[in-house]
Amino acid sequence: MMINFILNGQKVVSTAKANERLLDILRTEFACTGVKCGCKEGECGACSVIIDGKLVNSCMVAMGYVESCTVMTIEGYRKTERFAVLDTSYASVSAVQCGFCTPGMVLASECILAKNPNPTEAEIREGISGNLCRCTGYNAIVQAISIAAKEGKGLW
Amino acid sequence: MVNGYQATSLKEALKILAKESVTPYSGGTDLMIDPEEHATFLFLARISEMKNIIEDTEYLRIGAACTFTEIIENELVPEILKEAAAQIAAPAIRNLATIGGNICNGSAKGDSALILFATDAKLRLVSSRGERVLPIAEFYLGRKKTALKSDELLVEILIDRINLSNYYYKKVGARDALAISRVSFAAILNVADGKIVNCMTAFGAVSDIIIRRPDIDAMLVGKTTKEAKVVKKEYIAAYDQAIIPIKGRISAEYRKAVCMNLLRDFLESNGI
Ligand SMILES: Cc1cc2nc3c(=O)[nH]c(=O)nc-3n(C[C@H](O)[C@H](O)[C@H](O)COP(=O)(O)OP(=O)(O)OC[C@H]3O[C@@H](n4cnc5c(N)ncnc54)[C@H](O)[C@@H]3O)c2cc1C
Ligand code: FES
Ligand code: FES
Repeated sequence: MMINFILNGQKVVSTAKANERLLDILRTEFACTGVKCGCKEGECGACSVIIDGKLVNSCMVAMGYVESCTVMTIEGYRKTERFAVLDTSYASVSAVQCGFCTPGMVLASECILAKNPNPTEAEIREGISGNLCRCTGYNAIVQAISIAAKEGKGLW
Repeated sequence: MVNGYQATSLKEALKILAKESVTPYSGGTDLMIDPEEHATFLFLARISEMKNIIEDTEYLRIGAACTFTEIIENELVPEILKEAAAQIAAPAIRNLATIGGNICNGSAKGDSALILFATDAKLRLVSSRGERVLPIAEFYLGRKKTALKSDELLVEILIDRINLSNYYYKKVGARDALAISRVSFAAILNVADGKIVNCMTAFGAVSDIIIRRPDIDAMLVGKTTKEAKVVKKEYIAAYDQAIIPIKGRISAEYRKAVCMNLLRDFLESNGI
């Protein structure tokens, strides 16, 4: 009666009900508090995680859906080389202000670059179109992703 | 798992659906907005029979559990459906949301459902008792009401393999990417040997059900562009009567005006 999945590289088992939100369970049962809750309506992207290589809003996912899936949150992504490149590029252009959108934004950045290591500005903007940021006005974030694409040659 | 079943084959899913009181869960992007506390979900995402996109001699067959991302990335899918899918929400929603969910929610605002109306798509509905194929226009019964029986699943969407390349699609929304369409319009017009061989139009989000009127579109079929111009006024007047926007909404008149403008623009873009 348990739900099995891989969270940040480790096999985990959850006792949650299948109709509970992945967002809530990640934060409470697994202490992944880098997954933020901004709306629970699929509108803001603060709750973004990567499931089987694809960016999704964890507030829009019921626990039963992740049975046998691979889930990555910012807590797991932090340990990668790719994260280090994005971390530096975000810092270099001050693309982080309050930081609330940042975990989701970084995971969206990862998915943009994984799909296309040399994205155009339009592709970057499309890739982060579901991630709202109330502070930066987006230009710095778009720039940070372009810089990461250049600096991280070979990583994506 | 408690409050859920993850089916891995269609047969298994149909058996559960026939016996238990469960809610089919495809991408969850409608269901999770306001999930019922006691709902038991039947997860469809791993049913391979509902994930295929294939062509046979008659149809393009799209599995109901295909996400919009999968539809956009598939080379068999016609451009008109890809364009509509690409304008739905943002990537993270399109990675979850499915075409089957867009139809089964019964909404007249469904952006992919609009294209399926315009192309006279058919729906393959299957239960443990058997299966039936229903034209999409017969599937919608009213506001959020569909012909789906409680033991049935939408398994595939069947699109006739006619030429869909000369299409017109516009979604007029409040906010571009994330807006659930306010008004949308899709049309296909094919000319062969100087004559219109088919004209198929559909209006979304303006009434309780997507509006598709082949009887009105028939006014243009068999005519040359020149002859079509002669009946243009009559054709537009017929739609002016047919489109009855949802009453009681401030924007009703606005929606209708947008519809009529889009219809005219579609005709003009085809020289009519
Ligand atoms: C932020 C956001 C933006 C959105 N923007 C748009 C937009 O621009 N355009 C648009 O059209 N929609 C939009 N939507 C709505 C939604 O994403 C779509 O309607 C989507 O296609 C629903 O599919 P799903 O697989 O997620 O549905 P689900 O939530 O899984 O299911 C919807 C309904 O259909 C039933 N169902 C699903 N599949 C089947 C099946 N195979 N057989 C029987 N019953 C089934 C379910 O039981 C449920 O009642 C948006 C939603 C969000 C959250
Ligand atoms: S909390 Fe999930 S999108 Fe806003
Ligand atoms: S940095 Fe504050 S919301 Fe983006």
